[in-house]
Amino acid sequence: MSEILWAEKYRPRTLDEIVDQEEIVSRLKQFVKEKNVPHLLFAGPPGTGKTTAALALAHDLYGERWRENVLELNASDERGIATIRERVKEYARTVALGEVPFKLIILDEADNMTADAQQALRRIMELYTVTARFCLIANYPSKIIEPIQSRCAFFRFKPLSKEHVFQRLRYIAEQEGVKVTEEGLEAIWEVSQGDMRRAINTLQAAAALGVVTAETVYKAVGMAKPKEVQEMLMLALKGDFLGARDKLRELTINYGLSGIDIIKQIHREIFNPRSSIKLPEDIKVEIADLAGEVEFRMVEGADDEIQLCAFLAKLALIGKKLRYGGKS
Amino acid sequence: MSLRIPWAEKYRPKRLNEIIGNRRAALELYRWVLQWTKGIPDKKAALLYGPPGTGKTTAVYAVANELGYEVIEMNASDLRRAQDIDRVIARAVSVGSLFGAKGRIILLDEIDGMSGTEDRGGLSEILRVIEVTRVPIVMTANDPWDPKYRPLRDVSVLIRFNRVNKNIVTKILQNICMKEGIKADLSALRLIAELSEGDVRSAINDLQAIAEGRKVVTVEDVKALIAKRYREYDAFTVLKLLFSSRTSEQARAVLSQSSLDYNDLKEWIHENLPYQYSDPEELAEAYDALAKADVYLGRIVKSQDWGLLSYAIDMMTAGVAMARRHPYHFVKYKFPSRMLILSKTKEVRQIRDRVLERIARKAHISKRGAATEYLPFLRVIFRANPKMAAGIAKWLELNEEMIEYVAGDKSIAKKIVEFIKPQAKTRRRRTQRTLF
Repeated sequence: MSEILWAEKYRPRTLDEIVDQEEIVSRLKQFVKEKNVPHLLFAGPPGTGKTTAALALAHDLYGERWRENVLELNASDERGIATIRERVKEYARTVALGEVPFKLIILDEADNMTADAQQALRRIMELYTVTARFCLIANYPSKIIEPIQSRCAFFRFKPLSKEHVFQRLRYIAEQEGVKVTEEGLEAIWEVSQGDMRRAINTLQAAAALGVVTAETVYKAVGMAKPKEVQEMLMLALKGDFLGARDKLRELTINYGLSGIDIIKQIHREIFNPRSSIKLPEDIKVEIADLAGEVEFRMVEGADDEIQLCAFLAKLALIGKKLRYGGKS
Repeated sequence: MSLRIPWAEKYRPKRLNEIIGNRRAALELYRWVLQWTKGIPDKKAALLYGPPGTGKTTAVYAVANELGYEVIEMNASDLRRAQDIDRVIARAVSVGSLFGAKGRIILLDEIDGMSGTEDRGGLSEILRVIEVTRVPIVMTANDPWDPKYRPLRDVSVLIRFNRVNKNIVTKILQNICMKEGIKADLSALRLIAELSEGDVRSAINDLQAIAEGRKVVTVEDVKALIAKRYREYDAFTVLKLLFSSRTSEQARAVLSQSSLDYNDLKEWIHENLPYQYSDPEELAEAYDALAKADVYLGRIVKSQDWGLLSYAIDMMTAGVAMARRHPYHFVKYKFPSRMLILSKTKEVRQIRDRVLERIARKAHISKRGAATEYLPFLRVIFRANPKMAAGIAKWLELNEEMIEYVAGDKSIAKKIVEFIKPQAKTRRRRTQRTLF
């Protein structure tokens, strides 16, 4: 029984194993050959191999002892720049082991740092540049401040092609002895697009249900979504605001979802053709507009629960207008 | 009642090694006072600052006890007349102590609350004292950043006292309960600690109010006290005044008439809006106003532009009140439930966070990413395929309660655990064999 998460099990370990992003990989291999790496900035959508490339680079650069020479940080989890500074300082103090004279610090989700924190990070990068090289990873490169961008070699990761995703999914299915139909693959592509991680996770969840067909894929995706999102929207539209507020609290507490995660899921639900919530097209647009404003406010630092409640109260009003507005 | 010794006094740490909150700040003070034994240091005053109940005064007395010094405390009334200061200073520098103390510390407690410091006269007196003193002067303040304290800051060593971590507050409360022979639920003490927001004194006062003369303390007791406290806070009256306001002026005046601050008011309105406004139109409009107030509050935090506060207050008072279209009707207002929910769900949130941590570590992703990218799929796998789930659970090193959290069901969790167990047994047997 060696079941682990397939997304992890089949993560390429070396640069050679990465089949996509050819141009990036060949430049990274050049760095390995020269045993020198500039500061790096990997940018691109989720599931396009940024973290994988960083880890594979580390592996190829340091060989078997790569773990001793790599510090992996996640800007979303390390609380604040002070913590990052402390950890980097401590880490960069000792000399790298082996023939590469510097250590590698992988800072994932760097675009979640505030501009101030990034300024501080820039100082850190300069201070330790002899003993440590940074590999910053971000979804949105424009959220990285200009002075950092200009100090980094920039790599833009593109969404994976359908061909590559299918090839990988077929390979995994074969290794795992799982049956996959063509429609199943198409369905996975529909829900994951060029996001390899989501594609593999969907494959595994569908495989947990049986043969991977369009049906099991959609069933797995349906099960994966917290049902509370739909229930909350239903309650609000029916005018049961208090019920909707309770669901909202369940979502944050039981699922660990942030306000932003929740509003994104609401947005997806509103436009999901398979959703059981049926709304007139113009109302969908109105709700999308409201959702956008709510997300913006939460990003700005507003109170998640109060903003989402204000949103739900507006939904209740929309629901009332729909019931009494002559539409049925 | 008059015989009641406040526990906050009774259990105030007497020595440095008894201090567990803000210990580092207390030690910093100790080192600074020690410098005086080797001559007069550059900065002749120390300014201890931080929120109430974080151990500033306690630190001063503990340092004095440690060194066998005497603390000469002065307050606002002493400062009113300059000759009083002269007298105190004269005593401190010249005359030997009645109690044979080895040294003295002058303590000016809560300078930002001293009525004498409202004008510059009082402050310049303090500055003069610092100039001439030959003994350490220690001042405490909640907020020393007002520009008028600048001259004081310039001549003082600044020592910061932080809000005390709630685990430490809980520990302090546990110690007191032990000494008082009270059996208290850990969750009750945690709730008290959480509500105190790092103010140890208020936490101990709360504990005493609930626990004195009793043998057992439960979460319910704590909640009852909170509800009572807030009732004393006249939150209910404030809400009634607010929701029945006819003009924006009346509504805006509400906050100034009460002891609630705007954050409390925000919570109370948030909780009670749906009870007060049953008409969806009213509710939507009022929530819109509250949400805008909240946006302003967020901007204040970010920009430190406190001038925005009046707009925030306008929106949460007048904005909320003017949404009313129907005549005011009385409803029974409720205590804000958000906090209670947080303390009640602490356990499940902890398990959830631990699961997310494990995923984050194994899958090279943030905890938040683990929540959105992995957890939903794990839920499917755990519910549908116990065998596959067992392998993943083992790989992630999940324990039984974590498995139950992911599966969302006790009986399914049991099945998954069954799959793991036999393997664990064989492995144990193998290790035993190698032992013999």
